[in-house]
Amino acid sequence: MLSRVAESLYWTARSIERAENTSRLVGVSFHGLLDARVSDPKQEWRDLLRAMGRDDLFREHFAEYTPNAVTEFLLWHPSNPDTVTACVARARENLRGVREQISSEMWEHLNRLHLLVARARPSRVLQAPHEFLVRVREGSHAFQGVTKATLSQGEAYEFLELGAHLERADATTRVLLTSAPTLVAQPVDRLSSLLRSCGGFEAFRRHESQEVQGQLVAQFLLLDRSFPRSVLFCAERCLEAVQVISGDSEQPERSLGMLVARLAFADVSQLEAPNLGPLLDEVLTGVHAVGSELSGAYFATRVVLPGPYAQQQQQQ
Amino acid sequence: MVDTAAIPPSRPLGETYDPGAFYDEMFEATGKPRLHYQALAEELGRLSFEEFEERRRAVELSFVNQGIGFTVYGQEEGIERIFPFDLIPRVIPGPEWDLLERGLLQRVRALNLFLNDVYREQRIVRDGKIPGELLFGARHFMREMIGVDPPGGVYAHVTGVDVIRDDQGVYLVLEDNLRVPSGASYMLENRAAMKRTFSQLFERHGVAGIDHYPQELLAVLNAVAPASARGDLTVVLLTPGVHNSAYFEHSFLARQMGIELVEGSDLVCHEDVVYMRTTRGLQRVDVIYRRIDDDFLDPLIFRRESLLGAAGLFNAYRAGNVTIANAPGTGVADDKAVYPYVPEMIRYYLSEEPLLPQVKTFLGTDESELAYILEHLEELVVKTVDGSGGYGMLIGPVSTAKERASFKRRIKAAPREFIAQPTIALSRLPIYVDEFRPAHIDLRPFVLSGRITSVVPGGLTRAAMEAGSLVVNSSQGGGSKDTWVLRD
Repeated sequence: MLSRVAESLYWTARSIERAENTSRLVGVSFHGLLDARVSDPKQEWRDLLRAMGRDDLFREHFAEYTPNAVTEFLLWHPSNPDTVTACVARARENLRGVREQISSEMWEHLNRLHLLVARARPSRVLQAPHEFLVRVREGSHAFQGVTKATLSQGEAYEFLELGAHLERADATTRVLLTSAPTLVAQPVDRLSSLLRSCGGFEAFRRHESQEVQGQLVAQFLLLDRSFPRSVLFCAERCLEAVQVISGDSEQPERSLGMLVARLAFADVSQLEAPNLGPLLDEVLTGVHAVGSELSGAYFATRVVLPGPYAQQQQQQ
Repeated sequence: MVDTAAIPPSRPLGETYDPGAFYDEMFEATGKPRLHYQALAEELGRLSFEEFEERRRAVELSFVNQGIGFTVYGQEEGIERIFPFDLIPRVIPGPEWDLLERGLLQRVRALNLFLNDVYREQRIVRDGKIPGELLFGARHFMREMIGVDPPGGVYAHVTGVDVIRDDQGVYLVLEDNLRVPSGASYMLENRAAMKRTFSQLFERHGVAGIDHYPQELLAVLNAVAPASARGDLTVVLLTPGVHNSAYFEHSFLARQMGIELVEGSDLVCHEDVVYMRTTRGLQRVDVIYRRIDDDFLDPLIFRRESLLGAAGLFNAYRAGNVTIANAPGTGVADDKAVYPYVPEMIRYYLSEEPLLPQVKTFLGTDESELAYILEHLEELVVKTVDGSGGYGMLIGPVSTAKERASFKRRIKAAPREFIAQPTIALSRLPIYVDEFRPAHIDLRPFVLSGRITSVVPGGLTRAAMEAGSLVVNSSQGGGSKDTWVLRD
């Protein structure tokens, strides 16, 4: 597969996933704020922005943490390169350059999502954000579903999987990281919204019959092997994808293997404060390292000239 | 429902449509469809305006959702446009098509032989059939191609021949596009949209299929691979990228053929071999179906600032390690000043009489013809010899005195750059834009040349959507229609 194509597919998947995660986080925050028990709504919004690493940027452009300001900032403010609008547009731009590699259904679904987001009127969305946010998530799910249903599971498919799951691992880790220091002490409703932020509330409930406890939540979101948004699940999926893409043991495969092993063999005691924070930091660093190694291994222009390498390729 | 059914069904199109003073493809007179359009007129007549409009919207929506469009240059916002599509198909009876087909194949065979001669022995010049200065002065004549040996002697692998009908309904060749003709994807998408929208019409008409076009094209590209190529061939489509007006088509055709769509930056040339950069290193490329202009192919030979091609590509081509389709330099054969000589080429190379007539053309290089052009600007269409896309034309009958004066100056300054043709009253066919009204149309069939020359039955029918306009190019607001060749 062309390096350029691989990179475009990878970033398409990452961008769609990012749009989905952002819309979920905003939705959960809105929902949580409707509860009377929330004492400090500003702190809620601030935590949300911190989880995304965008608190500083927000404060450059907005004076106050109001629901409308944060929503505007996360959905379409031009200063933020990761707004839902920007992510969807970026995904579409990337996919547009590789349309011949994907099914027409995939393109149509992404195009529809793009039209939904690009044509949305901010004032209308702010009045009723829920419906809009749900439709963004549905658009992302429809794209992923139609990908699974229509695209041959070859290299293109694996690069999409790689992008989506690496982004997801990143998002879940970040959400956990914001509440790591006080996770065990969190009340049940906060833990529930933490689970919802990762789209894992229902899955957790089915998995754990016990009461919602901080440590169990961390264990579930990090280490569950069947929940498709847990960090371990995502890391394993990335590892499989990389193995399909290249048989040789290359750098990203090693790093992913180490990340998987680190999580798979984690001790339960590490899921408690004060160990949880450092573990999450380590995981996040690992995820980022994988990202840059992928780019080095597959996307950067590797011109090996002249010599035996090119000739060997010629004979294939 | 009751309301729409109450509208007398055949009235909208059949009874009120006025074919006017032009040759109308569908109606001999108001309410009197030609024989091969009768079934269609009946069927369309059964639809109410509302039903017709509903189907039109459904097609438009599916085009929007699929992102079928093209890019218009010179506009910052909203540069992606949907190619306007009209639901009333053009119908060509079998025997009419047979003549067209034979004429097109004859013409393209002669043009390929001509190119082969121009870049080798130039017999046609030595035998005095075409003035040498006309050829060697053509902007798209390519010195670098002299002595190059394209596989099979084929230069123009894909040719889009623009055919029109005059006020008597006579088919005329208007121009040959031998460089990078586009439109095949719209031909295929139009058919797909029509099948979705009017499936029952296809059951009643025996419409010849065109869906095999991409496979035929791929077969041609495989057939012209360099003799040195071994094993599985790597065929790629070279596009200027997402921002090109025909990008949709590039992507569509690559997908239909199952080949890689590459940009110049994906290619790298080394020791006269072309490779593409992949996730597993470099892979050798054998055939390039290029959709970028000659000038941009190789910055080492042509435009230095071009980022669209690949440095070293032309040398790899000359060394016979890669095939470029269409070959560089084919533009000399679609130069509008060379066009008047095509009938002579057919006689010269094939010893046959041309089957399809073409439009009378006055050359700026001929003194008496130049005088005629300058005196009759009001009646003539003036074109630049290397122009395309409908840009920079003077249409005499609708021009202003100021425009004519400006053209007069330009023609006098550079007579080689201009030709003029009588204004042809292009045939018309109904289109639907809020109502049924006539629009001028042309036809672009796609002729493929590999081991043999062939043409899929049909082509892209383009319609001038603006009332009264004679220009059908998509960049000038033209739309398109499905084209049905009937197989009885």
